[in-house]
Amino acid sequence: MDKSKHYRILVVDNEPDLVSAFKIGLEDNGFIVDAFEDPEVALSNFKADLYDLLLLDIKMPRMNGIEFYRQMKEIDEKVKVCFITASELYFYEEITKEVFPELGVSRIIRKPISIDDLVEYLKEELGTIRCC
Amino acid sequence: MEFADEVRHLDGLKANFSVSETEYLASASLSQQQKQQPTQQVQQVIYSNVKDIVEQQKYVFESFWNRAMPAEQRIREIEEGIEPEFYEVIVDRENATQILVDLSKSLKKEALFLLPNDKSIVRIDKIGIIDYLIKASQNEGTGAIMIICPISEVNSEIIKKVSENAPNIRIVNGNDSPYGMYIVDGHAFRAELKEPEADNFSEAIGFSVYSNRKNTVDFFKSVFELLWNERKLNEELIKTGKMQEEFINVASHELRTPTQAVLAYSQLVQKHPEKTEEMIQAIYRNAKRLQRLTNDILDVTKIESKTFKLNKTHFSLNDLLSSVVDEYKENIDKANIKVRLLHNEIDNEFFLIEADRQRITQVVSNLLDNAIKFTKGKVEDVEVIAKRESKKVDREIVVVNIKDTGSGIDTEILPKLFTKFVTKSETGTGLGLFICKSIVEAHGGKIWAENNTDGKGATFNFSLPLNKQSKQQGQQKQQEMFGGCQVS
Repeated sequence: MDKSKHYRILVVDNEPDLVSAFKIGLEDNGFIVDAFEDPEVALSNFKADLYDLLLLDIKMPRMNGIEFYRQMKEIDEKVKVCFITASELYFYEEITKEVFPELGVSRIIRKPISIDDLVEYLKEELGTIRCC
Repeated sequence: MEFADEVRHLDGLKANFSVSETEYLASASLSQQQKQQPTQQVQQVIYSNVKDIVEQQKYVFESFWNRAMPAEQRIREIEEGIEPEFYEVIVDRENATQILVDLSKSLKKEALFLLPNDKSIVRIDKIGIIDYLIKASQNEGTGAIMIICPISEVNSEIIKKVSENAPNIRIVNGNDSPYGMYIVDGHAFRAELKEPEADNFSEAIGFSVYSNRKNTVDFFKSVFELLWNERKLNEELIKTGKMQEEFINVASHELRTPTQAVLAYSQLVQKHPEKTEEMIQAIYRNAKRLQRLTNDILDVTKIESKTFKLNKTHFSLNDLLSSVVDEYKENIDKANIKVRLLHNEIDNEFFLIEADRQRITQVVSNLLDNAIKFTKGKVEDVEVIAKRESKKVDREIVVVNIKDTGSGIDTEILPKLFTKFVTKSETGTGLGLFICKSIVEAHGGKIWAENNTDGKGATFNFSLPLNKQSKQQGQQKQQEMFGGCQVS
């Protein structure tokens, strides 16, 4: 657990119940977590080189996760991103066309996922060497 | 020889001849073109008194005579502007192009075009035909302008131009066909497609046929109609397929999201005794959300498979509205939502209905949920009113209005509000109002919605037929309730 202690994660999900569940669950496992229900607010507070990983919901009102990803990349090119979604992926053609080739299928987490599995997953992602 | 003082009219004769009992005389001019020389007219005269030839030509004359119409009739037709029937095969492609241009230019009532491939609309646009159609569509009195055309990137610009400038012109996506068909105001023009990739209309077509014969035009029209209906059906099926796909996406999102919450909190609750109550609340909230969705999906399945059954009893709608409203008031207070719920009970009105109590409760709850959901934020009112309306002497109805002061209904979705999967909300499946409509209609009532005329919020209304004895029983019930207490 020591290893993950200093990792800082940003969670963006429009479901208040999920935002707080992810925040509590990840904090229990030693991560430092900032969490937002509103993607626009999250983006306006976003700073480069602050986070080790972003956990982004896809289907959100006003700004979906992909749009958030695009705008966020302009600010921080290097940060790792994992999408987490309850949606059917084929519905988001833009993901399969644009984001998949960039991120790889492994960076998409399907809801529902237990907190333990989610932690495991994020640790794996953070353990990998940064590609760029 | 018998003399007949009758003159008849016949179109399209290429020669002159006369025939009597014993003689045959004919003249014809032939155009003869020789190399490097101007065209020369060659006059021919044929004379015969051979019996067989005379007999044969008499037979030819009679067949013409029988096809011809009395001259008086033709004169009348000319005076009335009636065009004689024709059926022409046109080989000259420039001529064919001109015919189509002229037809489109003169369009008054109806145009039905079957375009053979995606480039066809580009070709006919080049010779101004699309602009003529657009112009005609803007005139009052122009009827249907319908185009069946394979739609692709090749013609998207023109399709866009048509839909922007002439919403009355209807276009459906078609398949490639070996010919183009153009029916304009009782004229039918059909051109074979010889060079599908050609840039110009006259280069693309082979021979064509042009006619105003009623039978021909009717036949072309029926072919067009068959194709149109087939293409329309196809479009509907694609739309249904897309809607199903969207439903699967919405339903799976709506199923997995609360499941995620239940899964996460049931794990967390063990580690966080200090937050037990809060987390159990969250589990309960999300389990309820799952329950609602499950019920909605089951209801829709029942509606669609026509196994939706009502369990009707006689009860007072007043009581039902009061108890639903009271329950909501309690929940609003608990959840600290800034909505004021008003229920105006009209004095001395009692609405006895024969209905499925649980289903009507579901309708009222759904409409109230929506009203509250879209009113959240500041202190606003949601009003529930029931009033009697009589359509006919023997048919009285009660109309329930649920009026809010929220954000109103998006004008884009207003026309299809009660259709499945229509929602602007991120947390809805778009099933609720569809189910409400099905419930109300199963009771013989109607449901409708409108944005309030004062520009603030929306009103949802539904009607239900009143039980015939509603009035008498209402009075009776009032007497039962108040009779004994009345002070005389």
